[in-house]
Amino acid sequence: MRDRVNQLPPGVPMDYRARMAILRERKLEDTQDKLHELGPVNSDDHGTIAPPKDFAEKLKRTIYSNHPNGSWYGYDGYSENFYRLMDAYPAFIDPCDAFPCREMVYLGSFRPARGFLPEASYEHLKPLQEKYDIVHGIGAQQHFGGDYTIGLTLGWGGLLDKIEAYRPRNPGHDDFYDAEVKTINGIQQWMRHAIAAIDEALARETHPALIDNLHQMRGCTEHLLTGAPRTLREACNWICWFKIASRTYDGDGAGGQLDELLRPYYEADLAAGLITRDEAIFYIACLLLCDPHYYQVGGLTADGQDMVTYFSYMVLEAADWLDSSCNITVRVHEGMDRAFLKKSVEYLFKNKNGWPRFSGDDALTEGFMRRGYSKELAVQRVAVGCHWMSLPGLEYTLNDCVKTNNARIFEVALNEMRSDVQPQSVERLWEIFTRHTRACVDATAEGIRFHLRHQWKNSPELPLNLISHGPIEKGLDVSGGGAEYYNMCIDGTGIATVSDSFAALEQRIEKEGRLTWEKMYETLDSDFVGPDGEYIRLMLAGSNRYGGGGTPADHWAERISKHFTECVLAQDGDGLKFIPGWFSWSNTIPMGKAVGATPNGRKAHAPINHGANPHPGFRRDGALTAMSNSICAIQPGYGNTAPIQLELDPGMARGDEAVMKIVNYIRAIMKQGATLLNINIIDEDQILEADKDPSLYPDLVVRVTGFTAYFCMLTKDFRQLVVERILKAS
Amino acid sequence: MGIITEIQRFSLNDGPGIRTTVFLKGCDMRCAWCHNPETCESAPQVMLHPDKCIGCGACVQFDEERMRKGLPPARESLAPTDATECFSGALSVVGKDMTAAEVFEEIVQDAAYYETSGGGVTISGGEAMTQPEFVRDILALCRDRGISGAVETNAAYPFERLVEVRGLLDLVMVDIKIYNNNMHRKWTGVGNERILENVRRLSELNLPVIIRTPVIPGVNDAADEIAAISRFIADNVPNLTYYELLNFNPLGDSKYRALDLDNPFAHARPLPDSDIARLADIARLADIPVRVG
Repeated sequence: MRDRVNQLPPGVPMDYRARMAILRERKLEDTQDKLHELGPVNSDDHGTIAPPKDFAEKLKRTIYSNHPNGSWYGYDGYSENFYRLMDAYPAFIDPCDAFPCREMVYLGSFRPARGFLPEASYEHLKPLQEKYDIVHGIGAQQHFGGDYTIGLTLGWGGLLDKIEAYRPRNPGHDDFYDAEVKTINGIQQWMRHAIAAIDEALARETHPALIDNLHQMRGCTEHLLTGAPRTLREACNWICWFKIASRTYDGDGAGGQLDELLRPYYEADLAAGLITRDEAIFYIACLLLCDPHYYQVGGLTADGQDMVTYFSYMVLEAADWLDSSCNITVRVHEGMDRAFLKKSVEYLFKNKNGWPRFSGDDALTEGFMRRGYSKELAVQRVAVGCHWMSLPGLEYTLNDCVKTNNARIFEVALNEMRSDVQPQSVERLWEIFTRHTRACVDATAEGIRFHLRHQWKNSPELPLNLISHGPIEKGLDVSGGGAEYYNMCIDGTGIATVSDSFAALEQRIEKEGRLTWEKMYETLDSDFVGPDGEYIRLMLAGSNRYGGGGTPADHWAERISKHFTECVLAQDGDGLKFIPGWFSWSNTIPMGKAVGATPNGRKAHAPINHGANPHPGFRRDGALTAMSNSICAIQPGYGNTAPIQLELDPGMARGDEAVMKIVNYIRAIMKQGATLLNINIIDEDQILEADKDPSLYPDLVVRVTGFTAYFCMLTKDFRQLVVERILKAS
Repeated sequence: MGIITEIQRFSLNDGPGIRTTVFLKGCDMRCAWCHNPETCESAPQVMLHPDKCIGCGACVQFDEERMRKGLPPARESLAPTDATECFSGALSVVGKDMTAAEVFEEIVQDAAYYETSGGGVTISGGEAMTQPEFVRDILALCRDRGISGAVETNAAYPFERLVEVRGLLDLVMVDIKIYNNNMHRKWTGVGNERILENVRRLSELNLPVIIRTPVIPGVNDAADEIAAISRFIADNVPNLTYYELLNFNPLGDSKYRALDLDNPFAHARPLPDSDIARLADIARLADIPVRVG
């Protein structure tokens, strides 16, 4: 943790742009510090800074255990340890920043035993989870979105009052309410330490503009200790306090509809003559600097109005000022302000930082309505995660936490057919594959039900409960009955690996007769080693492919997705709904390691395909339109995503006309049912150079999957994933 | 039925909007700098990339010695049928017979992109108009579906060919490669009298026109050459949308090697951006809209 106080002589210009430039440089320094002190991390940037060297050791000594295994669980364990952490949390002050403090550590990393609550054993579920390599999500935290309007309306003081108002209505739930009170008290205690740190900074700072800023920072913090935000600065600051606390608690990174959350504060400030446009942009940029949470701008209202306003432009401008890792999603719908979409694309190519992303409002809204929800609700479902949407404060989802490895299901099916006495055929394989898909999804859903029964006793969602509708009112954790809706996400993975494998078998064995089933099995067993191995591998890999556009493999993919969707939807019951998607996150690597050689020419333990994307080399001309059409065609269509991931050359949007071509490409895919589009703007030479020595490219930001990260902060495995995708795309 | 080299979707540089470019095979010019040499001949050709050969021997059943040594096949022994057994990418056949309906089936898959972007299909080459009936049939299918059509052509043929497809086109793109007739003949194998005459007549088609010049180092990169072409355009192309200068493309070299052909421009490099910008400024002196591609 660097000392940022009194580092700049009083004569240094300190307008808002200059301050943001300084903060950006400091963020790069902080990133290098983190890399040096903590090593690579394969996740969002989070805006964290490295804590003081002795902090973790000190904290470990104060850990409270409420279990014989030395770890902690449940309301008591989590609230007590969260309080202790917040009470000890170093208060970082940068006089250039509008807001105090940053995230430094993650509470869960201090747990002596990280597994699920030992008293709630799921040993009985493990055989099938292991058989199908299911990412079961049992014990997973956050991955749903809170409703910031609750916190912004009430403030910490109001939230405490709300707890006490509901406590008497739910007798027997004192352990829950006590834990929520302690959670807030911990945050307030940390804020008090921050006030002391600001005072200390004020005693040393000599730059007049920064002294003035520190005074404002102090006033803001003092008010927000109990009060609800009144101004844009206070609103942004309250979000920062909550987000740092919630991130620290369990990694929660869900933001909200940022333009509409903040616009009323800005307009009130303007009317009162309290703020300038630049000042407002600076505050938003500082909010994004604090943590690149997932935020959304634009979209559609229930009565069909475009939500883009002048303030949506200001949010993008703030991200441009920051010019760093960012996770803003622009909601695209047919009636949207085209100039705004164009501006978004211009920023994407200008900064080459992987933001913004683009979500398909029309398909997502219609899809969610197919799950039985009203349009009024569906349009509120915001993009606040890697690949996912959430109704702010209303639903619990386990988004992006639960995944089936469909390549593994395929492998199980292929092995079963091989040992079968019946004749081998692709259609027979399909029958077996569908049976195992059903079994795998059943087992996956069983894991989710287990999680919902026990998670509150394991690790409750104490901060997010506060900004959800229901938990405080009912006295129940959001994972254990507190939420209004339970829309449980199950994502499939490996769709390209599987559809290409089906298509290759069909083409090379059944249609062309170039290969026998026996020879194919033998070749897979040998992992394509041996006299004919590489020849057969190339033959299989050269078969028609998913992403090619109307190929047999594309039809297999549609068939696979339709069946998977049916299996997931069939899990509904007991107040739960299930929503399918196709997304791997970075599990492409471990999931690939769990699967041997496959008939699409993929070698044993190599990664499965990324998300819903085809395997690289899917088509000779690499046409994005063909690939996009294929991904649009496999959308499950119930409000969760199967994202399109693109790597584009920076030269592709040179000039206004070229930008408009990208804009119109985006409009076309959204009209065809695309749900989410992630784009990296990066060239081959740069990524190769950066991979040789990432430290030479400290500011290179890439979109890894749904999230963006500094390239230098990724491990070699993850860098390789990004590099290969970009090389193949180019 | 026609012969094509490739169908390239999501094509951003061959006309307005997002397009599909259909590269027909066969050309009536032999531009020395051509970066698509595989499009020149109208018959299928075998391309050999020895570096991709895995020595499997599937293509050289009768040359056991080479197979045993893991060597790529000898070029002289190759026939297009050999490539069908090659999966490494070492051997490929360039040139595929297709019907207009088959080509259209590929084109129509991107209809949504044409619609949002004002794009469409561009028939290119080789020289597109060496297969005029095929071009007409493809464009007619596109027109029926409301897909905009363009042709990218050298205009070195009887003007009537363009007149015949005029009703199926929304845009014509014509190259004027070199203004000086002798130089044009030297570098492309044909004179430019007919080309310039056809360009003069383009206004008869009543279609938007884009004129393009590939700027080749040592051939037509002189200021007076570009100035002459620009003045000619200003005087003779009233329907001009814009004039575009295309920098030399060096990416054809590997194709020359794969086809076992000499590449006279193997060592040439693209002009510096500043040189192209200077030439564009010179072209603008003719008071026409100019772009750099």
